[in-house]
Amino acid sequence: MRLPLTSRPVYGYLTALLACGIITLINILLTDYFELANIVLLYLFGVFLIAWGYGRGPASVAAVISVGLLDFFFVSPRFSFAVGDLQYLLTFSVMLAVGLLTAHLTAKLHHQARLASNSEAQTQRLYELARALAGAISLPQVSTALNHYLAGSTYTASLHLLDKHDHLGEVSTDYINMQLARTAFESGEVIHSELEADRGVSQVYIPLKAPMRIRGVMLLTGRNIRLNPTQPEREVLVTVASLIAIAVERLHFIEVAHQTQLQVVTERLRSSILAALSHDIRTPLTSLVGLADSLVLSKETMSDFSRSTAVVIRDQAKAMSHLLGNLLDMARLHAGNVRLRQEWQLYEDVIASSLQLLKPSLAAHTIKVHLEPGLPLVQFDAVLLERVVCNLVENAAKYAPATTVIEVRAYTTPSHACVSVRDQGPGFPSDKMTRVFEMFVRGTSESSTAGVGLGLAICKAIIEAHQGFIGAENCAGGGGCISFGLPRGTPPRIEPEVIG
Amino acid sequence: MAHDTSILVIEDDPPIRRFIKASLEQEHYRVFEADNAKRGLSEAATRKPALLILDLGLPDMDGIELIAELRHWSAMPILILSARTDEQDKIAALDSGADDYLIKPFGVGELLARVRALIRRHPAAPDGAPQVQFGEVCVDFINRSISRAGNPVHLTPIEYRLLSVLVTHPGKVMTQRQLLREVWGPQHGDDGHYLRIYVRRLRQKLEIDPAQPLHFLTETGVGYRFKL
Repeated sequence: MRLPLTSRPVYGYLTALLACGIITLINILLTDYFELANIVLLYLFGVFLIAWGYGRGPASVAAVISVGLLDFFFVSPRFSFAVGDLQYLLTFSVMLAVGLLTAHLTAKLHHQARLASNSEAQTQRLYELARALAGAISLPQVSTALNHYLAGSTYTASLHLLDKHDHLGEVSTDYINMQLARTAFESGEVIHSELEADRGVSQVYIPLKAPMRIRGVMLLTGRNIRLNPTQPEREVLVTVASLIAIAVERLHFIEVAHQTQLQVVTERLRSSILAALSHDIRTPLTSLVGLADSLVLSKETMSDFSRSTAVVIRDQAKAMSHLLGNLLDMARLHAGNVRLRQEWQLYEDVIASSLQLLKPSLAAHTIKVHLEPGLPLVQFDAVLLERVVCNLVENAAKYAPATTVIEVRAYTTPSHACVSVRDQGPGFPSDKMTRVFEMFVRGTSESSTAGVGLGLAICKAIIEAHQGFIGAENCAGGGGCISFGLPRGTPPRIEPEVIG
Repeated sequence: MAHDTSILVIEDDPPIRRFIKASLEQEHYRVFEADNAKRGLSEAATRKPALLILDLGLPDMDGIELIAELRHWSAMPILILSARTDEQDKIAALDSGADDYLIKPFGVGELLARVRALIRRHPAAPDGAPQVQFGEVCVDFINRSISRAGNPVHLTPIEYRLLSVLVTHPGKVMTQRQLLREVWGPQHGDDGHYLRIYVRRLRQKLEIDPAQPLHFLTETGVGYRFKL
């Protein structure tokens, strides 16, 4: 920013002396033709010019010297400061008064004119900055606009903005003092620093106040000058900073909107891919399962081999559909945007429906269900929780030998409502106890038991989406046990029935 | 056993249609086919089938719309076929009047069981029947009395209403919303927890093993189904 230009004052005084000399010379040359009144006027004209050109100080000096010179050269007795006629004292006084007054008024007028034109230039430049910022579509353009604005001034500016996480990050440049920058950022005040003054550097930290929040700090560095802005200058600087801040905030929200849009598009793409995949694979699988099954149940005569082949085709197609279901579930859960349809429900409903669903594959085992009396309502997504219970029971049935007992238990602890599934199988290998919930980890690798080890990983993902816990252990009497618990929360009250 | 009960299948995938048709014809049903909703609706109007099997994912019309339209002029039972992923569509279809659903992929056995249950129920809905018997339980609608293995069972008025709504729709999947509306009234559409607590009470009073019920079955995420 350019400050009002003030010429070196000593030139003004020298010029004042010179002007007085020249006027005196002219007057001496013309003294035979001029009345004293005209000589006085010529001096006053000189004072006026000095006041216009150099301000009040030199003009006042010129006024005093003019009076002295008038007295010395032109008032009889000439070439002496003595005054013959007392009325000249009045002339001198009036001349001095008029001179000083002229000096004062002219200088003031001139100063105001200069200020006005200066602030007009200022406004013009701010306007240009604002226009440049309004068109800026990237941060470098904002910096360019700022630098363009400051071009020709004695400052350089740098912007220190919030990072992605809305923090004022550390920067390791020579000239930024992070502590001052942070103070300016946190207090919202302009901070002036002369800490580096001995190196000829002084700095001003101005917070970038945007409508929503402070978006960073603008650092002005002045080299080889003292940078101590006066109040009006400070106001201009704060205005510049707020223009910058608004531009930065606008860019921030453009970025946010862009990101959101990108996310929405990605999300839509992902779920439409999943839906299409699910539909396109499931449709042929449905006809495969159905057609193979109609062969199995066909009343036409068929060789045993053909019929048993049809059974294998049907079962494999079913297994494949099951696997597809697991993979799609996992993809959906891993995308991290499963919308839980949480309602207050009872574990016994989910346990009963899971056992109902699995009935055909549980025929070889004895299922025992223990429900603690008066189980509370728990908030969960029933469809997802049914997946969990199904996977756990299915898993138990897969690994535990036939005719053994699978025990499903629902109970409460003070903080959680829990379900455990216990089998009499081989249990979990002790080295894999914590890893059984990872994807593609199986108790016994390469075994003939079907599955890829997604079941428990899905359980874990679902339970964690409900803010619950899930864990595996081996029971004292042998066999594995997996239990999960969901926070009990505060179930809604069931109003007792009014029997009228 | 030659009977000419006719069934209309609206499904756009030819192989699935083929196996459904084959399985049903083996059971001596007459099967009509349609591969889109428009044809399906006109077939339903002309053939007046005893059952409609409807795929929810039709190319030309939303299955739910089709059900709503059909329900203007027909009470024929509707069995919907849906993928597991469109849970909400399934509920909407049941709410708008479908009777039961099958999740793809399904076997012939499941299909036939559902078809049989739906066809058996409908011509002789036990609406007027004075008594219904299931397991050890006998419900006498005239005297509003329930007995279990000969011993009287006391039900509260709401329990009784819930029981009669379920029992008069055997085999039909009743959505949570339908049950709440019929038993508690239209303003209780979101009080699902009441429904669950009352079903628990019915199971405790009427099921042999309430933990593994045989008659009051949960349709997870959808509602309940009463099975004779």
